Amino acid sequence: MNDGAKMWPLPLRVIHWISAALVIVALALGTYMVWLVDDPAARFGLTQTHKSIGIAVLALTMLRLYLRIRTSAPGADPVAPSLPLLQSAAKAAHLFFYILLVMLPLSGWLMATTTPVRIPTRVFGLLDLPYPLAPDLAVFRFSHAVHVTAAILLAGLVALHVAAALVHALCWRDRTLRRMGMGS
Amino acid sequence: MRMSKRYRLAAALIFASMCGGALAAMAAQGWRIDEAHTLIGFKIDATGFPTTRGQFRHYTGRIAIDLDRPARSSTSFTVESASVDVGSQSYTDFVKSAALLHVAKFPTLSFASTQVEKLDPRTARVTGNLTMLGVTKPVALTVNVEPDPSANESSKQSSKRRLVAFSATGRIKRSDFGMIFGLPLIDDTIEITVKTRALTDE
Repeated sequence: MNDGAKMWPLPLRVIHWISAALVIVALALGTYMVWLVDDPAARFGLTQTHKSIGIAVLALTMLRLYLRIRTSAPGADPVAPSLPLLQSAAKAAHLFFYILLVMLPLSGWLMATTTPVRIPTRVFGLLDLPYPLAPDLAVFRFSHAVHVTAAILLAGLVALHVAAALVHALCWRDRTLRRMGMGS
Repeated sequence: MRMSKRYRLAAALIFASMCGGALAAMAAQGWRIDEAHTLIGFKIDATGFPTTRGQFRHYTGRIAIDLDRPARSSTSFTVESASVDVGSQSYTDFVKSAALLHVAKFPTLSFASTQVEKLDPRTARVTGNLTMLGVTKPVALTVNVEPDPSANESSKQSSKRRLVAFSATGRIKRSDFGMIFGLPLIDDTIEITVKTRALTDE
């Protein structure tokens, strides 16, 4: 077991906060553009931005998983109450985060490649996302359902994650939140 | 072409000689399109995406009206496909791409009437050929005709000047023209709306 008080490796801390910002923007933008934007030109542009952000999250998550496997993560903070059930729940939640962070961009990509309305995805206007599969309405509808479900689960998980971080910082007064920060 | 022009001229001359007025000579000729009051638009619905409304900004058109014998009226429009506008640069660029209007290969869309039929004093049916993506198909438009919408003003200035406002609507199936992108999520039906005014110079 690692020392629970030590910091997360710097690259993982940086990726965590960039991902956090991108994920919140992508979730908000995706919800906003689908529910509230009635102007087709605006929807078209926002969808392009949403896709670019999603691909950035996917790339960051791949790098993150690689670093996570290569480097050691800090263990449970010794100051926090030692509750095996909560610690298992935390581990499961973090694993679920990684799964959703891969599933959401991949299901979005699957939507973009299988929709009959096949519009090129130029990631931040720089590179064209390859579309490996042919348009298929059934696969599109399936990937859309997966995308929406995963988005709702991810939003819930973000809320749970923030709540847990606040409990660590404010109730238990341990270093769990601080060790993901940029201080020491 | 030449036959009908000659016939029309002959008819106009006969009519003019009968009535002896300048007005009759104007029949079917001398009309021009009021560009400030012309809008060539379209509308297309989709599933999971808002309705798209767009217009073509550049065109050339011709209208010939015979108020006494509407069947002798005719019109034709040629639209610059690259002048399409659906509200933003990126969205418009996509509509211009090979998936939809393919403006690089098909620089124009055109319509030429073949038959004008008066349905009632305010309505006509204009049938004609629409050419899009290099495919020509017959299309029927319902045209609301509003003779002299500004009659009161113009009668004060010049009693000879004439003005007719038109509002034409029709539906086409884009798959008929080989435009199959996005089916069935993007509707096959495109609603076309042309609002224009024709006026005489005198």
